[in-house]
Amino acid sequence: MPVTQLMSSTVTINDVQSFAYDEEFSLLDSMEGHQIPVTYNCRGGYCGLCKVKLTSGKVNWVQDSLVCLEDGEILVCCCVPDGPIGLAI
Amino acid sequence: MAYSTFSKVKNDALKEPMFFGQNVNVARYDQQRHAIFEKLIEKQLSFFWRPEEVDLSTDRKDFMAMAEHERHIFLSNLKYQTLLDSVQGRSPNVAFLPVVSLPELETWLETWSFSETIHSRSYTHIIRNVVDNPGTVFDDIVDNEEIVKRADSVTRYYDLFIEMCSQYSLLGEGVHQVNGEEVVVSLSALKRQLYLTLASVNVLEAVRFYVSFACSFAFAERAIMEGNAKVIKLIARDEALHLAGTQHMLNLMANGQDDPEMVAIAASCKDEVIEIFREAAEQEREWAKYLVKVGSMIGLNAEILSDYVDYITNVRLRGLGLEEIFDIRSNPLPWMNAWLVSDNVQVAPQEAEISSYLVGAIDSNMDDADFDDFDL
Repeated sequence: MPVTQLMSSTVTINDVQSFAYDEEFSLLDSMEGHQIPVTYNCRGGYCGLCKVKLTSGKVNWVQDSLVCLEDGEILVCCCVPDGPIGLAI
Repeated sequence: MAYSTFSKVKNDALKEPMFFGQNVNVARYDQQRHAIFEKLIEKQLSFFWRPEEVDLSTDRKDFMAMAEHERHIFLSNLKYQTLLDSVQGRSPNVAFLPVVSLPELETWLETWSFSETIHSRSYTHIIRNVVDNPGTVFDDIVDNEEIVKRADSVTRYYDLFIEMCSQYSLLGEGVHQVNGEEVVVSLSALKRQLYLTLASVNVLEAVRFYVSFACSFAFAERAIMEGNAKVIKLIARDEALHLAGTQHMLNLMANGQDDPEMVAIAASCKDEVIEIFREAAEQEREWAKYLVKVGSMIGLNAEILSDYVDYITNVRLRGLGLEEIFDIRSNPLPWMNAWLVSDNVQVAPQEAEISSYLVGAIDSNMDDADFDDFDL
């Protein structure tokens, strides 16, 4: 992955806190690495507990979600950022 | 109307609703109206396990060394789990298969119910291991007043739905005289009962089961009955999938993505669904008191278990787009997460039949160009 793209994968939480995504398997791993409190159970895309709102930007899905999601909702155990993103948790 | 095992009427299953359309004829999975059920089947198949894979040899020693009140908690909890899976091993098939109209949902129901039979077999595996006479434990499930009370509340909606479906199948819509009594059969009343039954199944798997899981894992948190906890961890992984299934069915109906008539029915059922959750939460709190009536154990008392009931009920209500009904916001049993994580249950694709590993081995996208360098 080009350095510029890595630099630009900044995750902003609730408009107040930011950290750089560092190629962890999922956003959930990345958030945990930065001590962002996030609820989870299965880490496999089917319990739905890590559902958050994507307020800006795009994500890539690394595993299938098997739970009901409305527009703008993502499971952080199943996604990685594709460029800078904003989350509401 | 009368069930047909293979309807000869040609139809487009992509236009059928989940339930009460034409009975499924061809079991085909190349196309799906609701692809989520195909994904759930794939996931459930990739989760396949057998209770005998889990070694329980140290559990017997742990059980022998346990105090009387701990044995009461352990066995009562196991009896309750046995009851719940006895119901779930047959009821989705008996209740929903006669009225399902999508092939992928039909197979999901069967796959779901089958996995519950594995759970039932695992309770026998556990009970055989810890007591000399398993009959004493199994017999008590229908003798014990507290368990029988539970059985009534988990089967009430199922049983009424099955009775109403039988009348619909035999008599059709209308007002009928059966054994001197007037019976009114209406499809909209059946659809309403279907929605409520699915909600009660969601409560069974998403709330009631999780309270029992908390008890099983509480023992293992103290490094006892760890074999049992390993089995329950596999069961919990399956149940998370099953509850996602009922959440999908309920949400597809309520959001107008399936049978248009279900939107209004779901809206009219909202208060009753919340009451089903509230009633189950109350019963689970009562059950928590019964479990610890002889004495609490370290890490688990009636109060903390009741708080967990409230917490998990709120989580499940949110999953159905409903408002929370209890004040609690944070998980009172944070250690549960470690037991509910699935990604460390199976790790090596070459050792376990992970679906994505198998699917990836076959390239099903072929066109003429693939034969360009092919000579006869």
